[in-house]
Amino acid sequence: MFALYKKEVRSYFCTPFAYIISALFLMVFSLSFIRSISDMDSSTLRFQFPAVFYNNFFYFIFLIPLLTMRTFAEERKSHTETLWLSAPIRVWQVVLAKYLAVVTVFALMLVLSLIYPIIAYVKGTVITSGLICGYAGFILWSLVCIAVGVLCSALTDSPILAAVFGEAAMIIIAFLDSFSQTQLIQSMPKVSSVMLWFSTQHRFAAFAQGFFSISDLVFFVSLSAVVLAWIVIVIEKRRWSRG
Amino acid sequence: MVEIRNLTKYYGNHPAVKDISFTVGDHEVLGFLGPNGAGKSTTMNMITGCLPSTSGTVLVDGHDIAKEPIKVKRLIGYLPELPPVYPEMRVREYLLFAAGLKGVPRSERKKQVEDAMRRLSITDVQKRVIGNLSKGYRQRVGFAQALLGSPKFLILDEPTVGLDPKQVMEVRSLIKDLAHDHTIIFSTHILAEVTAVCERVVIINKGQIRAEDTIRNLESRVSGVIRLCIKAEGEMTKVSGVIRSVDGVQDIEEVVPDDEPGVCTYTVRVAEESIRKPLVAALVAADCMVLEISVKRSSLEDVFVRLTSSSSASGEADELAEIRRELDAERRAAKDRKEDGN
Repeated sequence: MFALYKKEVRSYFCTPFAYIISALFLMVFSLSFIRSISDMDSSTLRFQFPAVFYNNFFYFIFLIPLLTMRTFAEERKSHTETLWLSAPIRVWQVVLAKYLAVVTVFALMLVLSLIYPIIAYVKGTVITSGLICGYAGFILWSLVCIAVGVLCSALTDSPILAAVFGEAAMIIIAFLDSFSQTQLIQSMPKVSSVMLWFSTQHRFAAFAQGFFSISDLVFFVSLSAVVLAWIVIVIEKRRWSRG
Repeated sequence: MVEIRNLTKYYGNHPAVKDISFTVGDHEVLGFLGPNGAGKSTTMNMITGCLPSTSGTVLVDGHDIAKEPIKVKRLIGYLPELPPVYPEMRVREYLLFAAGLKGVPRSERKKQVEDAMRRLSITDVQKRVIGNLSKGYRQRVGFAQALLGSPKFLILDEPTVGLDPKQVMEVRSLIKDLAHDHTIIFSTHILAEVTAVCERVVIINKGQIRAEDTIRNLESRVSGVIRLCIKAEGEMTKVSGVIRSVDGVQDIEEVVPDDEPGVCTYTVRVAEESIRKPLVAALVAADCMVLEISVKRSSLEDVFVRLTSSSSASGEADELAEIRRELDAERRAAKDRKEDGN
């Protein structure tokens, strides 16, 4: 399993893929960073990151599917999946290896983004606890997004379609909050509360503002686990019905 | 030993493989022969555990692939129809990765990869990116991958497709070489390959086994008949009469007029090859010029064509004799028609 993980991480860096997406990510991050710096009240110079994180929550939706689109779709397209289907390795191990590889690549991108807090530190004061919380929220939210992205990739053999599906799925997940707040849904309190329970945006917002809550952590981790289990089922199902 | 029992695979309502059973003994090379779309790849995918079967079992060394997939997969090296290579990786890097995936201990990986590269003579391209290699090289990289982990069984799905003639020869001799310490099942639709490499053949068509035997037995089943092709100049009835008059000639099966006026090619069924001499002598004595003479043996090709083009689907290998009779009858009918025409 480790061999597969290593190969996956490597394949991101052997192609221009990871670099270009990192660059895009940093660009997006810097835009919201610059905006909040220019808005900052010069008397305090205490830099808070919630707004930056909050903006990036939405940009993620477009970035993560690009990172995950190739995971399974490409293998199906180029018929390389027989390699791990015939190897003494279980499907869940393959899924986990690929998932962790994307998480690693994404984590590296997040490490790059630390440059902004560092700049903020040098020139002013950063509320460290808020920053850590923000990053924790970022990581947790990305765990879910990546799992959903990989799932979309497992559903099709076209990476482009996988990216489109991934974006659609993430938009739905991200905007579940707003949906649950509409008057129509509000008129059905039960539906609204279920939708709210599944929504991620308010949980992410809490993290971004520096509220670390165990229940939200459990929520993100278990949601990712459920999606991962779903990927295993999708792949097994396709193996059985392939024709 | 690989035992395949009543293996069946349905794709929706369409049966790709129907109730096939055969056994491959240790250190045997089994040729799996069939036209395109016969179910070869499906069967191989089921043997390697890539594809679950609808019903039936595959036992590899006594382990059921459905129950102990990991154990079985450790015993098998698989080269699928399209080599599963990642175009962005380098050859050596890819093989090291494949070795890791197959659970080869870290300390042995390097040695095994080097051995495999040497066997497939790809050592000089080891640093190249697979995507830039030609199809033949990619095929060989895929083959090298199958050898990693020293599997007891090798399943090769059309291993020589896309190779140039020299490489085909190399791969064939490699397969023969590997047969010393591996059991090999390989599929192909090229007959020469089977004759060159295997001891035993399974012929499959439309998802069913049409024959399973050694090549010699299969050939002998149909090659009781020896035919001579004689191209001779002279009046057709006269030449036919002379040919019939020779002892040992059983029948003239076919007479095909040549482009040259007065020249015909006669297909003659004879008892023995040695009849050639008296036959030519008789023809020359009767003033008929013999332009060409050759022995036409029934080959595996005949068996293959008959078995795989027949539309009846009972799957019995013993049909062979009947098929032969049918063929003879057809030829006789054609001959009669031709004679009537004359």
